[in-house]
Amino acid sequence: MGKKLSEIQEEYLELIYRLEEKEGVAKTGRIAQELKVALGTVTNTVANLEKKGFLTHRPYVGIKLTEKGRKIALEILRRHRLSERLLTDVLKIPWSAVHDIACKLEHVINRDVTEAIEKSLEYPQTCPHGNPVPDKDGRILRDSYEPLVNLPVKSKGRVMKIVNEKEDLLKYLATLGLLPGVEIEIEEKAPFGGPILVKVSEARYALGQEISSSIYVKRD
Amino acid sequence: MVSFPSCHAIQEVKEKADLTIALSGNPNTGKSTIFNQITGFNVITANYPGKTVSLNIGNIKYGDLSIGIIDLPGTYAIGAVSDDQWVARRAILEGRPDAVIVVVDATNLKRNLYLVLQFIELGLPVIVALNMVDLASKMGMKIDYKYLSLLLGVPVIPTVANKGKGIKELIKEAIRITQSKEKNSGIDISYGEDIEVAIGVLAEAIERFSSHTLYGLSPRSIAILLLEGDSEFLEAISALNQGDAITKFLQRIKMRIEEKGEPTSIRIIRRRHEVAEFIAGKARTWSEQTVLLSDKIRHYAIYPPTGIPLMLATLLGSFALISYLGGLLSEAINLVWGAYFSPIISWTIHSLISQEIIARVVLWGLDAGINAGLTVGIPYVLTFYIILSIMEDTGYLNSIAFLTDNVMRKFGLHGRAIIPILTGAGCNVPAIMGTRVLSTKRERIIASVLIVLVPCSARIAVIVGAVANIIGWSYAYMILIFEALLIGFVGLSLNKLLKGESSSLIMEVSSFSTPSINTVLKKTWFRFKDFVLVAFPIVTIGSLILGALYETKLLWIISEPLTPIITGFLGLPMVAGLALILGVLRKELALELLVALAIVQYGFSIDNLLTFMTPFQLFIFALVVTIYIPCIATVSVLVKELGLKNAILISAFTIILALMIGGLANKILPFLGW
Repeated sequence: MGKKLSEIQEEYLELIYRLEEKEGVAKTGRIAQELKVALGTVTNTVANLEKKGFLTHRPYVGIKLTEKGRKIALEILRRHRLSERLLTDVLKIPWSAVHDIACKLEHVINRDVTEAIEKSLEYPQTCPHGNPVPDKDGRILRDSYEPLVNLPVKSKGRVMKIVNEKEDLLKYLATLGLLPGVEIEIEEKAPFGGPILVKVSEARYALGQEISSSIYVKRD
Repeated sequence: MVSFPSCHAIQEVKEKADLTIALSGNPNTGKSTIFNQITGFNVITANYPGKTVSLNIGNIKYGDLSIGIIDLPGTYAIGAVSDDQWVARRAILEGRPDAVIVVVDATNLKRNLYLVLQFIELGLPVIVALNMVDLASKMGMKIDYKYLSLLLGVPVIPTVANKGKGIKELIKEAIRITQSKEKNSGIDISYGEDIEVAIGVLAEAIERFSSHTLYGLSPRSIAILLLEGDSEFLEAISALNQGDAITKFLQRIKMRIEEKGEPTSIRIIRRRHEVAEFIAGKARTWSEQTVLLSDKIRHYAIYPPTGIPLMLATLLGSFALISYLGGLLSEAINLVWGAYFSPIISWTIHSLISQEIIARVVLWGLDAGINAGLTVGIPYVLTFYIILSIMEDTGYLNSIAFLTDNVMRKFGLHGRAIIPILTGAGCNVPAIMGTRVLSTKRERIIASVLIVLVPCSARIAVIVGAVANIIGWSYAYMILIFEALLIGFVGLSLNKLLKGESSSLIMEVSSFSTPSINTVLKKTWFRFKDFVLVAFPIVTIGSLILGALYETKLLWIISEPLTPIITGFLGLPMVAGLALILGVLRKELALELLVALAIVQYGFSIDNLLTFMTPFQLFIFALVVTIYIPCIATVSVLVKELGLKNAILISAFTIILALMIGGLANKILPFLGW
């Protein structure tokens, strides 16, 4: 079993990390969609990576990176985000083009080159799109947002992100005034994991568990 | 061209009336109160094929003018993301009303203005009904409605709908703007440079490539809808000549806009909220803020330590009230019917039809059938609906939904499903219609199965008549408790077995309000009408068939092959089995049938059920009666709502379940000491 991962496998680990971060869970369907490849191919590659111990895959539930897989994903992500910075800040390439180039660069630059880029750019905290850059030991600035469902009654905060794949649902919540940036207050919680009553400006909504665990809040 | 389903009722009302006015607004703003105040009882309910949300259409006279009123479903926005929003928008685009009244809750101005802005953006002539201004001033806010009108660029009329204030002015103003031919001068929202550029380019392309405008919307309105990712308009545009080019351009420009992070649709929505907040902030001033008594009550209704006992007390109290009032009414109707109507009908039929057997069959339908409909239908269903409407209009139902969501979720439903399931205890027919509040087919199927298992007033009558009155109340409670456990078990299993996910609860919890009697009565009437229209004819026809089978003695021949199941497995006398079979047509009469059939079988010495059945047999009989498919009216509404296949499956399921449970009880209970 070779220790070195192929470019494709690295790409998979990185994508799985980003999906976990953005949507809460990584599913094979989404990977196929993002990489524009057949579902069968994704299933094969994921099975292969699982055999090597980089991730665990539970059908219908999703993919989870193992500690080993996470480490590699973060290293690739670090290379990606620093490459993007290099492209925009030094080479003045427009934002819209850097992602695709960085996707290629991240697999050819090694640790030393990455560190050199980081040093010459004076240790940027984020990529041009505002996402945090992991440091060389694989630590990433975790946002200190909590899902709404974990907040106690009477606490207040600001909605930071809503993690859900369904665009229609996001739009619906947004029309109700539930969107990133708004102030939110927990007024009541039904017992035994029931819904949560929140106050958003003058309106009160009861939100079920699934919804309230996908709304991330920064507490006041 | 993509074809959209259309609604004929809107076209009809438009043709007949001189003017059409649409009534729109967020849920719980008093929109339906306004609708009920201006229209009479002549209201029709219209449906779009395949959609679960319906529209109410009414007609009013104002001077010489005949005005058609389209009551749109209450929505927070108009888009394509949910059935209610879709129906509201479709009705507007297709009906092209001469004016749109948007009812706005003054106590929640910011969120409510969002919908107003959307209507203005579509270029419709808008009038804002600023409702509940009395509550707003009690809460300590003052809204300068003239300034609000200036900021929005459309007329604003303050109203207190449940007291009938401002309604006349509202209609007058609506008529005025339709006749003044003024163009909509509503506020223009600017979405920021990048989005505005995109709107400009898209609008130009749409103008150039579409030979006709879509529903008379301006190219700018369509461009905004496209940038919002409106699935319906995206489809319509891609069908145009240069549709592909426009779609490709749209994708590119959206990617550009989204580089800054947020999806274009969310940015547009956010901008509308910002404008709404700005306008609300300008038009409103606060004196001292006070918390309303109704808000305090709402707090205690939701706060679990007080809310749960309150909920249980309310539910039990309601059932006690329904059975008490319903029982009184039922007896009264029965007496009046027996004393006056029954003899007249009997005399008329006998004098018209000379053949004795046919006359008796007709009497089954017209006398016994209608009487059954009246004594079961009217008293229980009517009282049930009055109580339901009050709970709904006060806003208390939402508190119940909040507290029960957790339990419902285990059944794959959410809190709002409690409403139709409770309705099932009145009558299963309207309850199954009520599952339209649920959004997915899966939820509707689960809820319908549970409703069918909820003993309706007719089945409760059997439990009371055969078990409580003869064997004792404790045995009747045993059946009811068993039934509750069974519903729980079936719910849990269905959630495990049926494929698919359920939707999570998102429900506004508004302040409690005093319901208007007018609205409560009208709502009750409309619901009741639905019940009568479906159930009454079927009950009458069912009675005729039953009468024919009974009078011709065909019944005994048909039931012959079922003897092993009924006498062997269930251990019941054959007459009880016949009553069970006929109960499908007329369950509320299962007991009377049992006695009537027994008289035929054993002669006239029968004066009481115990002369031919043991208490144990009566218990089994009542148990089976409560579980299997309620009645043919329920089956027919299942067909209408869920399709033939599901209706057959659900019916077969309950019949098998009832037989199994009845049979097992017959075999096992004796070992437990009965």
